[in-house]
Amino acid sequence: MKSILKYILLTGIRDRLYAGLFVTLIASFSLSIFLGSTALTEQQQMTSAYIAGSSRAILAIGMILFVCLNINRAFENKEVEFIISKAISRQQFILGYLFGFFIAAFLIFIPLIAAIFFITNANKIGLLVWSGSLLSELMIVISFSLLSSLILKNSFSAIMASFGFYIISRLMGVFVLAINLPQDLTQAKNHFLDTSLKFLSALFPRLDLFGQSSWLTYGINDSSNLKIILLQSIIYIPLMIFMAFHDFKKKQF
Amino acid sequence: MSFRLFYHIYSHKIFFWLFVATFVAQIFFWKQTENIKPSFEIIPPVPSKYLVSTLSLGDNEFLFRILGTRLQNSGDVFAGFVALKNYDYSRLYQWMVMLDGLNPKSNFIPALAAYYYSQTQNKPDTRYIVDYLDQHSSRDIDNKWWWLFQGTYIAKNNLGDINRALEMAEKLSSNNSPSAPFWTKQMPAFLYEEMGDGCMAFVVIEKLIKESESGERKISAQEMNFMRVFINQRLAKLQKQKFDPRKCKKNL
Repeated sequence: MKSILKYILLTGIRDRLYAGLFVTLIASFSLSIFLGSTALTEQQQMTSAYIAGSSRAILAIGMILFVCLNINRAFENKEVEFIISKAISRQQFILGYLFGFFIAAFLIFIPLIAAIFFITNANKIGLLVWSGSLLSELMIVISFSLLSSLILKNSFSAIMASFGFYIISRLMGVFVLAINLPQDLTQAKNHFLDTSLKFLSALFPRLDLFGQSSWLTYGINDSSNLKIILLQSIIYIPLMIFMAFHDFKKKQF
Repeated sequence: MSFRLFYHIYSHKIFFWLFVATFVAQIFFWKQTENIKPSFEIIPPVPSKYLVSTLSLGDNEFLFRILGTRLQNSGDVFAGFVALKNYDYSRLYQWMVMLDGLNPKSNFIPALAAYYYSQTQNKPDTRYIVDYLDQHSSRDIDNKWWWLFQGTYIAKNNLGDINRALEMAEKLSSNNSPSAPFWTKQMPAFLYEEMGDGCMAFVVIEKLIKESESGERKISAQEMNFMRVFINQRLAKLQKQKFDPRKCKKNL
């Protein structure tokens, strides 16, 4: 498992994941500082909101692409067959890949947080909570990307499914807002959209509550969301892992 | 000659003329559509709450900052700047209220309203700015008293509606913020005095002095001096008008 971790981290260098994300984040920081400085007032707050929003999107997109393309290449190059022919269980294989991706994300994450801390003069507790929440969000996205890559095999389908998952999860607040189920559930067939949204909201995580840029400026006023974020991460990451175990266990090579 | 042989001999010419024909069609198409330009509105209609929630992807603060910048730069077209008198202030008001819904704590939108959009050449439009500042500040007068003062100032000087200014000054004077200077309490007195209502100006100042004497409110020496100057400066004027405070029956 240690060698799989090392392999994933090395593929990050080979695929220029760290360099690519680092350059994109620098560009996003520069643009955020420029846009923030054009504001009539609250320039610091403007900059920190832009940095927080854009870096979250960059990290999520970057990790989705990295995970999906990496797993797809592992299947195409028969690396998967090669690794599982060794004395390693399929669960260990998945956990090895997953922790490898988590560590790769964490390696990009540390300089990002340091840069936000020094550039935006953000609220310290807010930054701490925002960082933890963003890390949880990335772990959920990585877990889903790994699962979709294992199930779909085709890299394009896996990438599109992961993007769809991320956007729908981020839109879950709107879905919940739009759900207006009738009191009498026998009339539910007349409310197809509401019922579908209710169904979707039960399956997808509430990523809309994660990583609020306002925490960097105003700190944490309501800690009830933090409990939800923690519980959601504790439930959803293992859910993805167990689904991946189940799917991979049944796979024939 | 069979079709296949014909195609084999002349295909390169056929494709060349097809290329020419489609190129000419593209030129005609361009000629017909060159005057179709996207409609440009300085202040577009406000999006619905569902669209706003969708666009935010759960992060209201990020969307607030993007739309706030958009509102600040509206009218900044490539050909130059549009005069503020050409803006639709009713839409501007709706945008500001909508953005307050995304972040009611920020001072960015009230600053934009008070320092920039209040400068319109069309003075009646400032009513929307006053209404917005009133609505924004009324939720939290202790922290937003500055914007109530700005609203009072704009209502009096830009809009020229002293009654509206007085209405806001009354609200301003009700703040209990320790950071608010004492003149926020005296603001209604200044306006009553300007309206020529010596009685009400007197009542406001008298109330403040009574609060100070009873220990309900601590007034610093500097503030007391200012009140003395206020009273002394106007005393001559009031004496000329034969003003007798004992005849004042109005109460705040």
